Amino acid sequence: MEHLNLILLDSTMDFGITVTLIGYLIVLSALIFLFLVYLTLPKLLDMYTRSRMKKAGKVDAGESTIGHSGEVNAAISMAIFLCMNEKHDIESGKITAKKLSKRYSPWNSKIYTIQGGLNSRF
Amino acid sequence: MAIRKLLTVIGAIAIIALVSSSFKLYEKTTDVEQTSQVENSVGVSSDMGHDEESVTGMSGMGGVMKFYEYSGFNNVTAGHLVMILVGLIFIFLAIKYDYEPLLLIPIGIGILIGNIPFMEGVGLKLGIYEEGSVMNYLYYGVTAGIYPPLIFLGIGAMTDFSSLISNPKLMLLGAAAQIGIFLTFLGAIFLGFNPPEAGAIGIIGGADGPTAIFLSSKLANGINLYNGETVLNLIGPIAIAAYSYMALVPVIQPPIMRLLTNKNERVIRMKPPRVVPKLEKIMFPIIGLLLTGFISPSSLPLLGMLFFGNLLKESGRTKRLADTARNPMIDIVTILLGLTVGASTQATVFLKGTSLMIFGLGAASFIIATAGGILFAKFMNVFLKDGEKINPLVGAAGVSAVPDSARVVQHEGLKYDPTNHLLMHAMAPNVSGVIGSAVAAGILLSFLA
Repeated sequence: MEHLNLILLDSTMDFGITVTLIGYLIVLSALIFLFLVYLTLPKLLDMYTRSRMKKAGKVDAGESTIGHSGEVNAAISMAIFLCMNEKHDIESGKITAKKLSKRYSPWNSKIYTIQGGLNSRF
Repeated sequence: MAIRKLLTVIGAIAIIALVSSSFKLYEKTTDVEQTSQVENSVGVSSDMGHDEESVTGMSGMGGVMKFYEYSGFNNVTAGHLVMILVGLIFIFLAIKYDYEPLLLIPIGIGILIGNIPFMEGVGLKLGIYEEGSVMNYLYYGVTAGIYPPLIFLGIGAMTDFSSLISNPKLMLLGAAAQIGIFLTFLGAIFLGFNPPEAGAIGIIGGADGPTAIFLSSKLANGINLYNGETVLNLIGPIAIAAYSYMALVPVIQPPIMRLLTNKNERVIRMKPPRVVPKLEKIMFPIIGLLLTGFISPSSLPLLGMLFFGNLLKESGRTKRLADTARNPMIDIVTILLGLTVGASTQATVFLKGTSLMIFGLGAASFIIATAGGILFAKFMNVFLKDGEKINPLVGAAGVSAVPDSARVVQHEGLKYDPTNHLLMHAMAPNVSGVIGSAVAAGILLSFLA
């Protein structure tokens, strides 16, 4: 690589043109390669799913033929949104403060003071 | 309103151009000033040594004069004032016109911090280029190329690649737009920059701030040698140019889009993207990482982090990590990056003729990249059937200013057909532009480092 660079460095501009051509071709081919991979990937996954369904004895329902327009989808989304919003508003109405299971503690019980339990240390 | 915005931007550029004469004046006087400053400081210390009594018995007026010598008022130059003005314009554009405020406000404040004049070279450890100063430590994240990969991690964790996965042919538009990088690289060599500097300048056309900073920190860092000569430190000018043009996407791109398309093309409706299953979304970053890593290992710090962030998001198992990457972490890094890049525009380093050339080349790069994307979309349409055709406006989003470019496409599309929403389609070349510019950066790095 260093040897190649030295040869190319004879003329900076020539070197620049070489880097431009090779560099751009690599970027272009890298993204074309990615494009081809991502183009093939869903097809492979689809084939895999179909073969698994076939093995399991299930029939492929095929592509849905229901054609929803954008407006219908928007209306369905709005209905779901409103429904979820309303659900959020339904509350039990119960008071959330719970009764403590522990009725006494050394911090509020007078029994220690009476018996001198805690003070006996001093 | 648009005219006012344009006038403001032109005004800002005009101010910078008008004071270019003061830049030259500054360059000539810098050495003299620095020498006299050092002499002054040496003089002060030698006086102190010779006549200790006079120091101890320094009059109140003498103390005030010494304080004045160290203050910004004594050390101010035209260059400092110009840069402070530029910083104030950045802050104004961000607050008044909402131009990339998350970037321009930290950068603007950074410019102010970096250009408060002080006595340099007397060991105060204040400047960003003075070893041991706090700003110098923070700037290490830029020069060592630490911040950009962290930004990419956050971008990956917040980006939904569904539109790209559902219509992968739009990926080619992101590739086409990278022509801006390489043609500007050639232009920079033609203007006399050496190849590593030219490579760092060319990447401005990728319209990706972190990538531009990453590459300039590796190629044009003022440390590396090229043919026995130290390369220029262009990190500050390149970062400022890249982020400025990213902020000015809504001003720069629409005229080019209108120039290169006709009315019929602007109203082309594209097929809605399909629903992408979760498995495909999970496989995308893994395959992307492996393929791009093998093709261009030098781009791994950027693309590795981008795909890692995306996997955190799509796996569905690491919500906490994804949330951290896309919220607090990217915010912290953005603050540090913006501030230090802004502060790196210290007048003594930034105000040079080369900075203006970089701004000019950056603009050219951005325009070529936009045009490249649009023209390639039109070229693809020649081979595509009716119903599969691409709206050429979407090609403009091939530059990787995410999501500003896509937003501009949506905005322009709606002008000609208020029911034609192009945002989802434009996001595909936009994110592919991020991948493309990172691959291009990796290639330039492997050729020129």
